[in-house]
Amino acid sequence: MDFHWTAEQEATRRKVRTFLDKHLPSDWDEIAALGPGSEAVTGFSRRFCPRLDEEGLLVPHWPAEHGGADASAWEHFIIGELMWESGEPRGPQYYNVNWIGPTIMRFGTPEQKQYHLARMRRGDVIWCQGFSEPSGGSDLAALRTRAERKGDSYHVNGSKIWTSYARQAEFCLLLARTGVERRAISVFLLPMDRAGITVRPISSVVGDGDLHEVFLDDVEVRDSERLGAEGKGWEVVRYALNFERVGIPRYALGLRTLHRAVAALRRSGQFSEVARNAAAVAYAACEAAKLMVYEVVDGRSKDGPSTGTTSMARYAIVMAERQVADFVLDWTPELFASNEDLMVATHHKRAIAAGIAVGAAEIQLNLIARDVLGLGIACES
Amino acid sequence: MNLDLTSEQRLLVTSVAALLDRFRSPGGGAHGYVDYSPGLQAELRKSGFLEVASQADCGLLEAALLIEEIASRPVSVEAAATALLTPLIGRCSPPTALAWALNRPVRYLSHAEVLCLIQDDDVLVGTPSPEDVTAIDGVVAYPLAVLRTVPRDAVRFTGAVAAAIRRRARIGIAAEAAGLMRGALQTTTQYVKERRQFGQPLAHFQAIQHRLAEDAQLVHACRLLAFRAAYEDDERHAALACLYAQEAMRKLIYDCHQFSGAIGLTLEYPLHLWTYRLKFLQGEAGGRGRQAELLAQQLWS
Repeated sequence: MDFHWTAEQEATRRKVRTFLDKHLPSDWDEIAALGPGSEAVTGFSRRFCPRLDEEGLLVPHWPAEHGGADASAWEHFIIGELMWESGEPRGPQYYNVNWIGPTIMRFGTPEQKQYHLARMRRGDVIWCQGFSEPSGGSDLAALRTRAERKGDSYHVNGSKIWTSYARQAEFCLLLARTGVERRAISVFLLPMDRAGITVRPISSVVGDGDLHEVFLDDVEVRDSERLGAEGKGWEVVRYALNFERVGIPRYALGLRTLHRAVAALRRSGQFSEVARNAAAVAYAACEAAKLMVYEVVDGRSKDGPSTGTTSMARYAIVMAERQVADFVLDWTPELFASNEDLMVATHHKRAIAAGIAVGAAEIQLNLIARDVLGLGIACES
Repeated sequence: MNLDLTSEQRLLVTSVAALLDRFRSPGGGAHGYVDYSPGLQAELRKSGFLEVASQADCGLLEAALLIEEIASRPVSVEAAATALLTPLIGRCSPPTALAWALNRPVRYLSHAEVLCLIQDDDVLVGTPSPEDVTAIDGVVAYPLAVLRTVPRDAVRFTGAVAAAIRRRARIGIAAEAAGLMRGALQTTTQYVKERRQFGQPLAHFQAIQHRLAEDAQLVHACRLLAFRAAYEDDERHAALACLYAQEAMRKLIYDCHQFSGAIGLTLEYPLHLWTYRLKFLQGEAGGRGRQAELLAQQLWS
């Protein structure tokens, strides 16, 4: 066991921090507060990500044949952790580099890889993810959107909901039913400018452009736009979700927020013994989540099997986010209810989704009960 | 960063487990729980495991790994204070009792060869005699006694060494609590798989699954934080690991008893032997309020 960064990992951290210092504008906190799906952040990401690529910091973990540098899971993770800590200036593009790209690498045709991976690497393409539906969120396999084959193409009918970034997206990683069995699902790489697609934004407390409804009315999708074999989409989804489940190191922004709230209390002379106690407990929860995530990344860097540690780390993140958000509400309510510290406001917007996005926290508890404790339950994953 | 145990560390843990297994009580039910016995304590000392922190290529992390493993087993034997403090006080004579004040119950004091009494910034280390202590009978699996007077031969440690003793005491609590929680959770998990109500095992009820799953996350985090605290051996990580453990055990103790029902309250069933040791640790070293204060000082002073 070694709990210290290696010299190489330290160098990566320094390089990313230096890059962020140089390329984040002085009003970045104001931009980030608008949410990763906002016009402002999405627009910023289109300028920021190509610069990241120039420095070898966009997709270093991708294989060299796809424009990466075969870097380790640690390097990939360190970049993601520091990006999230700073408010995620990659905007929606973290989707691409973290899991949509790798999923296309695993299941895509040579043509799909050539086109989509090159676009993602250039850092100016926005994707959304057409998973959740009115009838299927956590129970993903209950989705009803259908893709019916007609000759060399499919006609898709149905609707998606809670789709982040849909209004900005050029492409959607779309799940649709192609058979009658529960898991007869296929995955499509759907261009969002296709006729029959209607996107309606949903106003929310989490930021502009984060939630949408997407209506699919007889949308034509070509056979060549299907990712993986017909009816084998569940395998693709599981592969993608495996990346996504611990994808966001949310505790990083949580820790930064906690330190900001404590600094505000100290400035106003209100950092009492009771407040210090509460702050320390929230800090401990963040550190626990961090260490558990590090364990998952370490396992991934060694190609180890997922043994339930991912679900435990994910749940620890949710608990840590809650502790920090509660601390802010308890001790610095003015930071929550005003625009005094936009970074704290940004954290609160994102923290409330921590236990919901990418599957409910209760799904993680199901998985821990099954995979760690062997309590034997019926749940699909 | 490498969070796997080395093959040597794995061997160390399995070796001490094998030693403890030899002492399982044949009449102690499925768990074979072994109450504190001077014989086992002497055997553990003779094995050399408790001096691991001073051995070549080993250190406090190896000591914490042993402490956590021993605490998870169905056996009561002193390991934490001896393994972590021996390099500082120069005495390896288990059991070592660690007292945070006079006139309070102290773990292992009734059998202690060495006593460390923490007094403000200093630590007094001596050999307790029968007139210094009053033994207590109770259901806590630790042999307990109240410390009445300071041993006559006590030597005063001050400054950095005294601070290190206090710090390592916290690391010991964190590592021992992590192991105790693991043992309690394993016992409870086994019970809910076997106990049937409403025609099915308790393990099939989601109300139970989710709370035990939360506990599994807490136990796992406690272990990692305790091991990191031993690895770092600094004030911040020690207070952090001890705080998280003392927070986590409150929920875990309650859940384990809740799901074990009335059998978990009996002395014939071993659950209390883990949970009542945990209850004792909940208030050690000043409890979570003190750990939180120490952590806050490290972070925000």
